[in-house]
Amino acid sequence: MLAAPWVCRSCVRSLRRIGFSQQFLRRASTDSFKLPPALLDRARFLTAEHDQLTAQLADNFDEKIAKRAGEVHRIAEAFKKFEHAKASLRELEGLLKSDDAEMREMAQEDLAATNEQLAESSRNLSVALTPKHPFADMPCLIEVVPGPGGTEGRFFADSVFKMYQAYCANKGFRTKVVQYLAADSTGEKGGDGETALQEAVLEVMEEGAYAHFRGEAGMHRVQRVPATEKSGRTHTSAVAVWVLPSFAENATASDGDWDNPESDFYIDPAEVKSEKMRASGAGGQHVNKTESAIRLTHIPTGITVSMQDSRSQHTNRADAWRLLRSRIAQKRREAREEAARALRSSVLSSAQLTRGDKIRTYNYGQDRCTDHRAGLDVHNLPDVLRGGDTLGKVIDAVHGWLAEKDIQALLADEEAAAAAANAPGKGKKGK
Amino acid sequence: MPRLAPSLFRQARKQISPFAPLLLPVCRTLDSTANELRWIKEHVNSTDSLVPRKLGIWQACLKREKGIPLQYILGNQPFGPLDILCKPGVLIPRPETESIITHLTTLLPFSSSPLKILDLCTGTGCIPLLIASLLPSTSQTLGVDISPLAISLSRQNLSHNISLSHLPLSASKSITFTKSDIFSPSFLSSLPFSPGELDILTSNPPYISPAGFNKNTERSVRFYEPKLALVPDVNLGKGYDCLPEDVFYARLLEIVSVLQPKRVLFEVGDVEQARRVAEMVVRGGELKNYAGTVEIWRDDPEGEEKERISLRNNGEEVEVKGRGNGRGVYFWRKDC
Repeated sequence: MLAAPWVCRSCVRSLRRIGFSQQFLRRASTDSFKLPPALLDRARFLTAEHDQLTAQLADNFDEKIAKRAGEVHRIAEAFKKFEHAKASLRELEGLLKSDDAEMREMAQEDLAATNEQLAESSRNLSVALTPKHPFADMPCLIEVVPGPGGTEGRFFADSVFKMYQAYCANKGFRTKVVQYLAADSTGEKGGDGETALQEAVLEVMEEGAYAHFRGEAGMHRVQRVPATEKSGRTHTSAVAVWVLPSFAENATASDGDWDNPESDFYIDPAEVKSEKMRASGAGGQHVNKTESAIRLTHIPTGITVSMQDSRSQHTNRADAWRLLRSRIAQKRREAREEAARALRSSVLSSAQLTRGDKIRTYNYGQDRCTDHRAGLDVHNLPDVLRGGDTLGKVIDAVHGWLAEKDIQALLADEEAAAAAANAPGKGKKGK
Repeated sequence: MPRLAPSLFRQARKQISPFAPLLLPVCRTLDSTANELRWIKEHVNSTDSLVPRKLGIWQACLKREKGIPLQYILGNQPFGPLDILCKPGVLIPRPETESIITHLTTLLPFSSSPLKILDLCTGTGCIPLLIASLLPSTSQTLGVDISPLAISLSRQNLSHNISLSHLPLSASKSITFTKSDIFSPSFLSSLPFSPGELDILTSNPPYISPAGFNKNTERSVRFYEPKLALVPDVNLGKGYDCLPEDVFYARLLEIVSVLQPKRVLFEVGDVEQARRVAEMVVRGGELKNYAGTVEIWRDDPEGEEKERISLRNNGEEVEVKGRGNGRGVYFWRKDC
């Protein structure tokens, strides 16, 4: 006899089919080390690859294999450490259940250290595995725009904006209000001194801010009884948040440090062909050329620069390099801004400002903030809106979700690449 | 040389300046005419003179029209990061020399002790000064030339570049120039280096054959640069079994065999001459320490381009590096 008076039969069947309890257990054990399963799968796969490669290298040395092995070495190392720590934790847990009191005590002592080790190795592993977003190191702009609907959305937009401002202040991030446009029409005040906001932009000038706030982009939904509501009905409105990498300052700052590969101005010298343009025939003591023109060609982009303004070949070369650098930086910046524009329109085009694709809900009535992607519920909404630790918890959860998403995308990419590599003939025909 | 079209002169006058047609026969193209005229103007504008500016430019252009090298008119030639003063009677530094010497300095390992450098036939002193400016460490450098004009100019260049802070103050002590005849029997004993301790020996000796001087040299070179620095004296070749233009290399290799420097770089005229010098190195009796290390460098020795050519005497092969004309012969002692 079932405990519940009636359970839908198809539900019971579906529970049995997916092995609900088993999956739940596995997730629970990995979640405690904050490693998404996709990440672990990938680590396992790469470690297997690494072992295979090293075995191959032992037989005969090949530069390509060695290079690939070097790439995955760090991951394999981190994964092995992680597995080791996990195994010893399992062993300790076994010991804890043993009858011998002395053994239990010993295990208890070791448990803390092992847990710490596990946490560290899992952190290392996730760092080694997670692909880095190209704009991850940049400062960012957070744009808050109210969704369609009445003043309620505008009031809440102000709350969201202040939430991020306070969050940055709590975290010690330097910020600048780039724009703060209040809707002038009404002049009324919402609850908590909210003003009706038309649009606001906050610049977080910290490096790596983009990576931190990337997951905040999307539709934020609020469910509350507005201060202007007289009959006490709960309204649902939405606020759009855009997070964009901020370039302006970065581009001028990197002018000097063109030795830094991250910089726009960086050029790999191996990619540049340098030619001296001079007449054929005898040179050296036979002739006395006054010009020493230099032509540089950047092979990947085909940009060519020639310089002959100075009598000094040294100066011409330096000038040519400078010109080439700034041209390439210009090109890169344009490409990046194009990418950012595409990002902006893909994140949320104004046509998409609907309540359907919400990423987060702030429910005042239940004192609850829910992130729909990370599947996280937190209470203490006032602390969230003050940008306190509760918001930090939500943001961290989103980071985990994003990392998993990235890994999945990476896996899909790799699979596609592998499929393309396996069937090159087909690919060609397809084109 | 092909005749320049009269329309080109009209264009030069119209597009560049009324002075431009004066420079066109020497410069040959509108682009380089514009460049030279700009440099002349810059020079005249930056020097104080009682002569009115326009007149100064005109005078300079008239000189240039006659074929006088621009470097003698302006009085200097940039050479790497340096500014080398140039005066009639001393060879003007060439960009190819700059290239091969710059490349040489990239090959030197870092050493904490001062490098000992000897440059023979130094002329303006451009080679030792460039090495000294490019090396991170200090050096003990000696430049030798037979011409008193060259020696006084090279000393001027040393102090000139120190005053422009292209060279450190200490260079005034570490770099010296002396007048000496490298062919004299007492030359070797007069040097302050004992055998084996010299790190670098460089030389850009006269290497043009008497026939080549009449046929292959530019007018401005033939008429205005010192023949002493370009063509070896016929009388020097008496004791040596080689072509007249290679006499200096024969003598330089005698010096090498006594001093046993660690690295040697000679500038040469073309690949043929480079091959002949390489053959002399391979054949040389006292040069066993250098066997198998000979390289020939082209005008731009940097870069990936490489080929091998075989020598005539024993079929041995040497590597030819870079692009352009054959420009240098480089070899190093096997124990370093």
